[in-house]
Amino acid sequence: MSDPKIEGYQFKPGFSGMAHDTASDQTMFKGVHWGKAMMWIFLLSDTFIFSCFLISYMKGRGSTPVEWPNPSEVFGLHVFGVDVPLLLIAIMTFVLITSSGTMALAVKYGYEKNKKMCGWLILATAIGGLTFVGMQAFEWSKLIHEGVRPWENPFGAPQFGSFFFMITGFHGTHVSIGVIFLFIYAYKTFAGHYDEKKRGWFTSMKGDYVEIEILGLYWHFVDLVWVFIFAFFYLW
Amino acid sequence: MHPGIIFFLVILGSLLFHIFTPWYWTDIASNWGSMDDTITLTFWVGGGVFIAVCLFMIYCVFKFSYKEDRKAEYKPEDKKLEKILTWATTLGVVALLAPGLVIWNQYVNVPKNAIEIDVMAWQWGWQYRLPGKDGKLGTTKVININDENPFGIILEDPNGKDDILIQSDTIHLKNNKPVKILLRSVDVLHNWYVPQFRAKMDAVPGVITYYWFEPNKVGEYEVLCAEYCGVGHYAMRGRVFVKNEEDYAKWLDEQETFSDLVAKQKKLEFNKTELAKK
Amino acid sequence: MSEDFNNNKIIHAQSSETIGGASGSPDMDYVRPAETGDQDLYHGHSFITKWIFCQDAKVIGVQYFLLATFTGIIGLILSWLMRLQLGFPGLAGFMTAEHYYQFVTMHGMIMVVYFLTALFLGGFGNYLIPLMCGARDMVFPYLNMISFWMFFIAVGVLLASFFVPGGPTGSGWTLYPPQSILEGTPGSGWGILLMCLSLILFVAGFTMGGLNYLITVLQARTRGMTLMRMPLTVWGIFTATVLAMLAFPALLVGSLMMSLDKVLGTSFFMPTILKAGEVLEYGGGSPILFQHLFWFFGHPEVYIVALPAFGIISDLISVHARKNIFGYRMMVWAIVGIGALSFFVWAHHMYVSGMNPWFGFFFATTTLIIAVPTAMKVYNWILTLWRGNIRLNTVMLWCLGFIVTFVNGGITGIFLGNVTVDVPLSDTYFVIAHFHMVMGIAPLMVIMGAVYHWFPLVAGKFLDEKLGKWHFWLTFLGAYSIYFPMHYLGFIGVPRRYFEMYDSPYVTSAVGMNEFISIAAFIVGAAQFILIFNIIKTLKTGKPAGHNPWKACSLEWLTPSVPPEHGNWGDRLPVVHRWAYDYSVPGAKEDFITQTTPPSEVANTEVEKT
Repeated sequence: MSDPKIEGYQFKPGFSGMAHDTASDQTMFKGVHWGKAMMWIFLLSDTFIFSCFLISYMKGRGSTPVEWPNPSEVFGLHVFGVDVPLLLIAIMTFVLITSSGTMALAVKYGYEKNKKMCGWLILATAIGGLTFVGMQAFEWSKLIHEGVRPWENPFGAPQFGSFFFMITGFHGTHVSIGVIFLFIYAYKTFAGHYDEKKRGWFTSMKGDYVEIEILGLYWHFVDLVWVFIFAFFYLW
Repeated sequence: MHPGIIFFLVILGSLLFHIFTPWYWTDIASNWGSMDDTITLTFWVGGGVFIAVCLFMIYCVFKFSYKEDRKAEYKPEDKKLEKILTWATTLGVVALLAPGLVIWNQYVNVPKNAIEIDVMAWQWGWQYRLPGKDGKLGTTKVININDENPFGIILEDPNGKDDILIQSDTIHLKNNKPVKILLRSVDVLHNWYVPQFRAKMDAVPGVITYYWFEPNKVGEYEVLCAEYCGVGHYAMRGRVFVKNEEDYAKWLDEQETFSDLVAKQKKLEFNKTELAKK
Repeated sequence: MSEDFNNNKIIHAQSSETIGGASGSPDMDYVRPAETGDQDLYHGHSFITKWIFCQDAKVIGVQYFLLATFTGIIGLILSWLMRLQLGFPGLAGFMTAEHYYQFVTMHGMIMVVYFLTALFLGGFGNYLIPLMCGARDMVFPYLNMISFWMFFIAVGVLLASFFVPGGPTGSGWTLYPPQSILEGTPGSGWGILLMCLSLILFVAGFTMGGLNYLITVLQARTRGMTLMRMPLTVWGIFTATVLAMLAFPALLVGSLMMSLDKVLGTSFFMPTILKAGEVLEYGGGSPILFQHLFWFFGHPEVYIVALPAFGIISDLISVHARKNIFGYRMMVWAIVGIGALSFFVWAHHMYVSGMNPWFGFFFATTTLIIAVPTAMKVYNWILTLWRGNIRLNTVMLWCLGFIVTFVNGGITGIFLGNVTVDVPLSDTYFVIAHFHMVMGIAPLMVIMGAVYHWFPLVAGKFLDEKLGKWHFWLTFLGAYSIYFPMHYLGFIGVPRRYFEMYDSPYVTSAVGMNEFISIAAFIVGAAQFILIFNIIKTLKTGKPAGHNPWKACSLEWLTPSVPPEHGNWGDRLPVVHRWAYDYSVPGAKEDFITQTTPPSEVANTEVEKT
């Protein structure tokens, strides 16, 4: 992978100028790293996956003959003798969004070549992700304990369980993969692989701090998807 | 032989095949003659384009085949020609689409006087249900289906009592009377298709789909399943008789209603218990 | 490991290249300096890193080609078995209805996904994109290698389903639930699961490859290679890859949900079902949802196969007619437009599926709109022939064969896309004839043409022309006589996927035609082995091709060595000064000007500005 430098390229003004820049030689997105462009397109494709899931969910929820369970009851927690709807989920969402913030800071310190801060912030992000997955596991076990299964549901339509476990599971897998990569990247940052441009274990490409930004893109995307899942499952 | 000649013979052969083919659509026996007309229209327009494009290509192959001393024309584009071709094509497409949409509108709007027929499909067979004197079909549920209630009619529904049940793959239809086919399936996808009627629609488990037609030719027709439904798909046939009014009425009289069936079964059961008592 | 990299040795392409021609000012040759440094490539040394786990896109392309061809031959053999049953029922004693449906399913899935898609995008895409864009390799070579091996595993899983209890799935290539996961359909246990797993693996592998193709085209073109100078092949493969990246997610989701329905007993696609007098545990799902997901993938899939074919055929016709492709801009916009529209037409496969019939109006309209850009492409191909200087060699024959079969199949597409006309014809042999003509035979013609065209580049030797012509005429005439009459079976009303026609009076009238079609199918299938023989013969004794044997303009022929080596361009990346179609330019000495020729060298010519 190579560093983009776009000396000698003058961006042209106006709409036709934009069309001209887009269609110009060498690169379409001037100065954008290959890996970053790849991540954006991958995320576009992934968006379609989650859209298919969520549209199927809407269709399934709309056409099932049995009543859909009330989310604020099903997802409620009983804490200190009071029923609090959506408590757990609010904490989960808060943790995940916070981790997006630490990720953004990590990218900033990465570009400033502040190895230590960058590494710690990546670790913080990873721990945030891990907490999220742990809380999700707790929620799953609570629902399973109450008798909700992918194929049946004591509170109403069985499709509730099917869609819930499938979509949160698919999202949770995304988070878990992200967490694994975050730990790897934290190690690489502390070990100074990005400073020495050390070659990767598999791809044998030179390390660079841009990789942290690429992972950051993925992490923010996973966050954003969670906001949609949250809205569709818990608030609808 | 020059390749152009062979290509020409292929086009000529296709044309001759189309003119002299012994295989063409079956005689139509419903009101959907307009579907045949749209096919014919599409054939004329499409076939014309096909032959024109191919003949032009063959002409080019003859006229412009490689010569060492000739140079091809250099003309990257011709905006005017492209514009003309675009608009001509658009016009052709609109001409084909418009009648299609008009007829589709007729297809999805069922006439008020149509008789509803419940066509129930399973792996692999058909059975039918006609409304009784009240002209209404009773509502059904898959889980109600059993030996006593082969159509799964909801017992509380008064409309269902006089429904006429035909537990066979053969149905009779009244000539020149529109029918609305209500399709349902208890297991997988099926499709109740009679080539002579032209119309078809899938039967989907969980929902009721419909289409309509008006048979207009007395005779006997074969029903084919037109949506793949498992290993027995090819053997899933049925039979339709289109009859004139008197024959149809006679046939209808012989059929059993749901309450007949229930009564018969009650009697059977009663006899059984009597027998057991003795 | 770092000694494997020789990037330090590569001289960076100089900024402001000023090779002054005999006449004309050097200024007109100016091309902007490079935006990125040279690509860092991993050069394998051992046999394994060079030929098996290889990161060179060209080797990966050949690997894709060979594996796709291998699965394609399996698909071909399955089609023979099907035709044997249809033409001569009962002749093959082992053929039961179960087997027949399994063969139908596997033939369809193999040909569409594992043969055509893999071959066009994985095979031609990998080989040609870096060469035609002037890149050293795909941008992520390691990911590219994994992509092929994922495809390899996907094929392995698919073929494994022949050996599991119950055999491969027999639910038709559309895999419609509920039937595909219920008893009564062959392979409803292991078969369908392995099919779903294989598709998921294929999608994952393809995504890795697809990201490579897209980023290479977007971000790794050489200096001077603007978007509107790219050969149409690249445009076709690029747009098809975009479609694939956005359409395959629906297939992935559909496969996953169906696997869950099968394994966990969820009811995504399963309504209440009564089977053998018992109500199953399912309930409340929607079978039509799967059809929407499937065709949201399935229709773009048609164009994933067709668009690369469109692109490649445009290049072949242009090279061998010695004339620029007519209306290049129109061709590019037609490819992009067809690609975009293909996401809005999927439900034309579902006019009689029981979905809300009012959708019919919308989807019929969008479908017929697609006919306009497609027709424009056809016009432009034949207008390219007009006043050309046509070499009637094997490659050109395949192109002509493509035009005939594609126009034929495209026009029957107008029958099926127009909702009313579709009602009597859907689910009959007319549909089979249509899609085989338009996305079976027509793309096959392109593949064959492309093989005869690029073989001199890949192997450095010409394929035998005489064998090539035999191959073409047997394939073209044979395939045409399979599918042209088959439309008329559809008119009679013969439904698809019938194991046996039986006794229907009007159907039995077609017995003779079915026998004829079967015999033609055997011949066409056998004729494909001529190509394999031709390749083996050529590799042994073929005539060396040398540099740029077809006198083409595009970059892939301009590599310093033939066949191109890893890194493609030797020391220096090429610099592009014009589009890929400067054939027969008035005033030029030869009848072609390569893309790398600077304007000052051909100063007296009247070239259009591109």
